[in-house]
Amino acid sequence: MSDGLYLIGLVALTSGLVWVIGRRGLGLRASAVRPALVRLLEWVGLSVAFYAVNLLVGFLAVLALRRLTSSFISMYLNTDTTLAILSACQALVFQWWRADSE
Amino acid sequence: MEHRPPLRGAAALGMLTLAAFVLLAYTPLIGAISRRLDAVPDPGAADAIVVLGAGSARDGVLSDPSLRRFLGGLLLYHRGLAPRLILMGPAYEGSPVEAETRAGLARELGIPASAIVVEGRGLTTRQEAALAASRVRELGGRRVLLVTGAQHIHRARRFFERAGLEVVPAPVTEVSPLAQSPDGRLELARLVIQEGLARLYYRVIGQL
Repeated sequence: MSDGLYLIGLVALTSGLVWVIGRRGLGLRASAVRPALVRLLEWVGLSVAFYAVNLLVGFLAVLALRRLTSSFISMYLNTDTTLAILSACQALVFQWWRADSE
Repeated sequence: MEHRPPLRGAAALGMLTLAAFVLLAYTPLIGAISRRLDAVPDPGAADAIVVLGAGSARDGVLSDPSLRRFLGGLLLYHRGLAPRLILMGPAYEGSPVEAETRAGLARELGIPASAIVVEGRGLTTRQEAALAASRVRELGGRRVLLVTGAQHIHRARRFFERAGLEVVPAPVTEVSPLAQSPDGRLELARLVIQEGLARLYYRVIGQL
């Protein structure tokens, strides 16, 4: 079995468990899953948008700092994995902020 | 909690992103793309082997790509493909000079000091190309075996050719195109995309 298949199977299994617990234990509505998945897609899309903006601003900032200061800053700094995680946090806060501003 | 409808554009982007994520992480697609982009012929003889920098920590520990490139250069030297080993890599935020760390390792591994050239001033690939060209000319040569990551080799080659050198590419594999784990595939995808963007940038500003 491939690594990917194992991981997808694992997540499918725990998702099934959560489905059972949610429906029987917590009384959650089945019809509410679809909007939740749409919110997930929205969050992923927002995360990508924030990441793109962060990359672009970071790229310009590095170019500007190289010109304005004597110190060298590597462009690769912008590709650090944590920038993607921070962008996802920005997206989540924005999503909740938007939802609570109704 | 939520009353506003979801942002349709963001949701569509999210769907595309998840589809790309599944394709890149859970299928061999990125490995096939990488192999197609990175195919190069076997290296031949040259006047010098140039090993590009790839980073080291403050305590001097070489990054994984740095060590792989260094090892690639060392193997070419041991195969007798060039009489000189030009080791590159600057100091990074208070770290020792990467080129000097590599040179120390090379001496410990039996490479004669007279065969090692240390060049630790280049901060970018373009600067490394100019500095290496100057060193190679001082040695009376022109043809170099260029050692860097498989994804980086095409851009680096252009810079070195622009600096007036004849380049024999000798890429090292930093992430295997045959990686089976989703983690490994995503890392490979990151390298391929990052290098693609870098090439695009240098083409736009007319330096490639």
